[in-house]
Amino acid sequence: MKTYVKISLFVVIFIALSAILAALYLFNLKHKDLAKAKPDFVISATLLQKAFEDNEKTASGKYINKIIEVSGKIASIKAVENNIVNISLVTGSDLSSVICTFPSITDLSKFKDGDEIILRGECSGYLMDVLLNNCAVIKDKKK
Amino acid sequence: MKRLAFISILSFLFFAGNAQKYMTKNGFIGFFSHTSMEDIKAENNQVAGVLDISTGEMVFQTLIKSFHFDRALMEEHFNENYMESDKFPKASFKGKITNLSSVNFSKNGTYEVTVDGDLTIHDATNKISTKGSIEVVTGGINANSKFNIVPEDYKISIPGVVRDKIDKSLGVIVTMKYTPLEKK
Repeated sequence: MKTYVKISLFVVIFIALSAILAALYLFNLKHKDLAKAKPDFVISATLLQKAFEDNEKTASGKYINKIIEVSGKIASIKAVENNIVNISLVTGSDLSSVICTFPSITDLSKFKDGDEIILRGECSGYLMDVLLNNCAVIKDKKK
Repeated sequence: MKRLAFISILSFLFFAGNAQKYMTKNGFIGFFSHTSMEDIKAENNQVAGVLDISTGEMVFQTLIKSFHFDRALMEEHFNENYMESDKFPKASFKGKITNLSSVNFSKNGTYEVTVDGDLTIHDATNKISTKGSIEVVTGGINANSKFNIVPEDYKISIPGVVRDKIDKSLGVIVTMKYTPLEKK
């Protein structure tokens, strides 16, 4: 009987501790490093923008919250607030682009307008442009 | 409603002539909450905005999913539980500078302004009035503002257990760097 009590007490404490650890782990979990994550879709910036322009509803259902690997040519690089950089990609539209926001630690200094880039980002949706967040550079193709 | 807001931005862009329009697609909106239990902040660098310097009209639009938190789980709760961003993906503001005459757009400098307008978050619209500044710089216009909003005003319900961890009134910072809208 005594052994039984000891064992159950041990089990209860073990479960409680694991629950606390799991909760702490989840609470402090950072965002995924997309450079290491498997993309859900691989697509060009032109086709991605066109998918949203043609049918925003279908494209939203398909791409939002998904990890997308996008290839394209850099239209502009903009330093925004808090050391964060936004890269816009050339698409088939003059008014609408794919805007990719990188975490502040990403070094994008080697890129310039017109460079080809392959990157991964999480799709937030379509405003006037397709918006990708938490982006990571996968490959830079030099001309 | 959301489509209407988008169409209003587009029509704003195309139909009213271009010379007096300034815009950005890389604007910043951040909000922060400070309580004794926890400091929380979220940042969004994907804000689209248009400023018409002839009328003082301002329009902003952004996606809720573009707000970025340090902690992944917090971002998930923000989207799924509080903002319901799948149902209400966009937030927008449409307003006007009320003291436009005090800004000299042809002279570099910083001017204090008051902006009145309608802020729509979570499909709920409230009138807000806030102070801000317009900074005329070479090649563009910067706009800055800081104000507070109460989540409950926008029908955002925060459960009692976490309510104490989130400020009753959230501080919002808006920083826009506009460039002239060029006619293609």
